[in-house]
Amino acid sequence: MNQPKRSDEPIWWALFSAGGVCFAVVIPGLLLTIALLYPLGVLPENALNYQQVQQWLLQDWWGLAGLALAGAAICLPLFHAMHRIHHGLHDLKLSSGLLGKILCYSSASLFSALALYFWWQGLG
Amino acid sequence: MEKTVEKTLVIQRYNPEQDQRPSQQRYQVPFDNSTSVLDALLYIQQSLDPSLAFRWSCRMAICGSCSVMVNGIPKLGCKTFLREYSGDLLLEPLAHFATEKDLVSDMTLFLQHLQAVKPYLIRQEQSAATTPATKPQPHKQTPKQLAKYRKFSSCINCGLCYAACPQFGLNPEFLGPAALTLAQRYNLDNRDQGKAERMPQLNGKNGVWGCTFVGFCSDVCPKHLDPAAAVNQGKVASATDFVIGLFKP
Repeated sequence: MNQPKRSDEPIWWALFSAGGVCFAVVIPGLLLTIALLYPLGVLPENALNYQQVQQWLLQDWWGLAGLALAGAAICLPLFHAMHRIHHGLHDLKLSSGLLGKILCYSSASLFSALALYFWWQGLG
Repeated sequence: MEKTVEKTLVIQRYNPEQDQRPSQQRYQVPFDNSTSVLDALLYIQQSLDPSLAFRWSCRMAICGSCSVMVNGIPKLGCKTFLREYSGDLLLEPLAHFATEKDLVSDMTLFLQHLQAVKPYLIRQEQSAATTPATKPQPHKQTPKQLAKYRKFSSCINCGLCYAACPQFGLNPEFLGPAALTLAQRYNLDNRDQGKAERMPQLNGKNGVWGCTFVGFCSDVCPKHLDPAAAVNQGKVASATDFVIGLFKP
């Protein structure tokens, strides 16, 4: 039997898995803090003021916290979601593969690059 | 116990040599608490309609022959009981396979996929061990080494997981749950040295990467050996193999 061509899926699957962890851990934590606890007044009123958050994310530790947040809350979840959509399109028989794959992963790459660009801009 | 209560079995009949398309036939079958779907089929064949075709052998969930769709879910006929269903039962041949006749599916593709992953112990030094000078030694295995693959070793090749797998339904080239589980079973066996021969099949788009972790295979497995988990362990192994491949010429 001929040896099948090695699939490039491990790359996308690794990004998908990492994004899945972020979706399960980081996103609920962020939602709890920003969308629930803060509006409900559980946290101190100025705990998330602009200067404070900018200090944490873009100035302390060379802005690494901002990079981690962009990666864990935007880039990896994007790849996770687009991986699901790519395979969902196959399940619904809407895409034969390559075109959907290019559209899905290139849009995830584009918005990830944008997120990283804004982080980089914020550093300066 | 006297069989007084009856149940209606609606069975898909199809003889490709005579019929334009499959049709359904209804049978009234007496049953009690111990009547399995296979018992009911045998009753129909022996007492009502000898022309009904279905596969069976052991009657005790070991041979994996009597796989059928019961109300759209893949089941072993011998392990499924009429008492579990309140209404009529609809019996059809296994989904995703061609039908030979009535409830008999053509399992050729399934057997080809099993063969493709070399589901047997492969030893590199086998020829050396059998020369007269060196007496063949038994391959020793500790309970811990056995435990690594044992949960994946009780497959009876019934094919229920293929009828459950939507990816196999969309793409018959996909190696499928049972074959990928068997590959994982032998890759985890410390007596085996054939992982390098199996990985190319697993690494392809029809190998482990054809799976999208739907998990229905594990739900329907009559031996509860969790093929979905085995396939996803295979994905980790294939991803590791991919990274190692990047550093090897």
